[in-house]
Amino acid sequence: MGSVNIAQARKSYGALEVLHGVSVNIANGEFVVLVGPSGCGKSTLLRMIAGLEAISGGEIAIDGKVVNTLAPKERDIAMVFQSYALYPHMTVEANMGFSLRLGGAPKDAIKARVAEAAKMLGLEDYLKRYPRHLSGGQRQRVAMGRAMVRKPKVFLFDEPLSNLDAKLRVQMRSEIKRNHQRLKTTTVYVTHDQIEAMTMADRIVVMNGGVVEQVGSPLELYDRPANLFVAGFIGSPSMNILSGRLENGTFMTADGTAFAVPGMASFGNRDVRLGIRPEHLCLDPNGLRAEIVTVEPTGSETQVMMRLGGHDVVGVFRERVVNAPGEMLPVSIDAERAHIFDPQTGKRLEA
Amino acid sequence: MDRNSTGLVFVLPALIVLAMLVAYPVAYTGLLSVTDRQGAFVGLDNFSAVLGARATPQAFWNTLWFVGGSIVFQVVFGTAAAILLNQNFIGRGIVRSITLLPWVVPGIVAATTWAWMFHTEFGIINYMMTGAGVIPEPIGWLTNGSTVMPVLIAINVWKLFPFVAIMVLAGLQSIPNDLYEAARVDGANFWQEVFHIMLPQVRSVIVAVTLLLVIWGLNSITIIYAITRGGPANRTLITPIQIFRLAFESTNFNQAAALSVMFFAVALVIVIIYIKALASTPGEVK
Repeated sequence: MGSVNIAQARKSYGALEVLHGVSVNIANGEFVVLVGPSGCGKSTLLRMIAGLEAISGGEIAIDGKVVNTLAPKERDIAMVFQSYALYPHMTVEANMGFSLRLGGAPKDAIKARVAEAAKMLGLEDYLKRYPRHLSGGQRQRVAMGRAMVRKPKVFLFDEPLSNLDAKLRVQMRSEIKRNHQRLKTTTVYVTHDQIEAMTMADRIVVMNGGVVEQVGSPLELYDRPANLFVAGFIGSPSMNILSGRLENGTFMTADGTAFAVPGMASFGNRDVRLGIRPEHLCLDPNGLRAEIVTVEPTGSETQVMMRLGGHDVVGVFRERVVNAPGEMLPVSIDAERAHIFDPQTGKRLEA
Repeated sequence: MDRNSTGLVFVLPALIVLAMLVAYPVAYTGLLSVTDRQGAFVGLDNFSAVLGARATPQAFWNTLWFVGGSIVFQVVFGTAAAILLNQNFIGRGIVRSITLLPWVVPGIVAATTWAWMFHTEFGIINYMMTGAGVIPEPIGWLTNGSTVMPVLIAINVWKLFPFVAIMVLAGLQSIPNDLYEAARVDGANFWQEVFHIMLPQVRSVIVAVTLLLVIWGLNSITIIYAITRGGPANRTLITPIQIFRLAFESTNFNQAAALSVMFFAVALVIVIIYIKALASTPGEVK
């Protein structure tokens, strides 16, 4: 097991820099998820840790040892690819044992290690099959097994669940998490799916445009997003962002919709962006009047898109909303849970 | 007319042409092989006559040598060239084009050029090798019984390995990059990538190409006929050339037909065995 220390890592392709000095420290045994929209550099960073992409600047250290110039095989890492990258001409057993075989391990040792991993992943009955005979979920397990057999210092996952259907994805998600709890191997996991990030990670690194936007535990990011990007990216449906002005502790939008925001008086009078999560809107007969745009019942709750203060706002209510589009819905905003951001820098403003 | 017979009408012209160009010659060869010059039926006389000729077994072994030797080196060099051309290096595009040249050069031109290059007195090969002191005196490459076959095999390999290289290269380029990366993470060095990723992945291409080479090899006349005509002393006489000479130099079409029929049967057996043995091995990539 090992830690991963990334210090000011940069990556450029010619004159184009895609990673602008990323620093992340990952502790031994930690499960860290790199999340961000496509093109944010998360996969590039993962491949730099793996040694599949050269490091243009900065330093990456695994278990305290700088690995910048080391080949992938010298870094003691194992990687699970999005496509799984199973060797099509090898059986499941040969796939899983391949790295040990290359390393010159004795046959019975390989067999034992493969059997151990197969047992953990429920693959015992499939060892003699070829990848093409397996379903997507089974291939995914083999890919994990191939990584586990090596007992590496660090597991790297590159969007491993994106080729699976929704149900299987949820199942594999908890399987990966359970395996991590058993093996306690340091894991770096790349995904563009913030739900995967929230459910699996010990810590999340939110990336955007080649920089790290925020690092923190899932709930820290959810409760205290450092900027508008993180606020909008983490959480589903995403946070509502209202433009307006704070005056004497009251938030007012351009059309005059106003409500008190407690504890914000210290900001004085200024333009702000106010973020409010959909579940922090509640139905309230004395509340603000919002015009319903769409109503989406999911059974356990109802998502309502409405116009409020000149913005499209989504509310998630435990109650069943039976009103039709066009009708007015009285809602109040749990302003204590509101997030205030600077409209220019997008940074979070703290009271 | 229903749908099916309308279709038949459409393919009929092509079928007629095909029948005239392929079926008729095959059938006529079969007929020739059991008749004499006057067209009278003679049973298997032609077969026993041609089998009794001293040249026949020698031509048979020469053919095996020529085809076997050519194919081994064509496949080995072709695959090696493909792997090399699949690497990233400066000027790769140019090298790829140059590699293809031998295959583009017409066979008769290549044969004539090589014949001159291997010429005992005026050939550049003897000139360079004696000049550099590699050999003390000129070698009669094409007149010496022990060197002539290897030389012809070498020329044939030179002519056809680019074809193998191009086919295998196409196969290599279809291998997903992920597999190489997975292998690299798993600890494979370059040679392990070659043996555990590249070769297994292009196996089906190599099998198909080898089959083509077998068929072409068994039918090849141009290079040998243009350079040695089967000589010296029948050392490079392979069965197709024996058939050609029987028919057009000795004008014994009936014996030539008999030999053709037997050669066809042997070639068919070899091809069938090859397909059975190699093309259906389990663990094939899909």
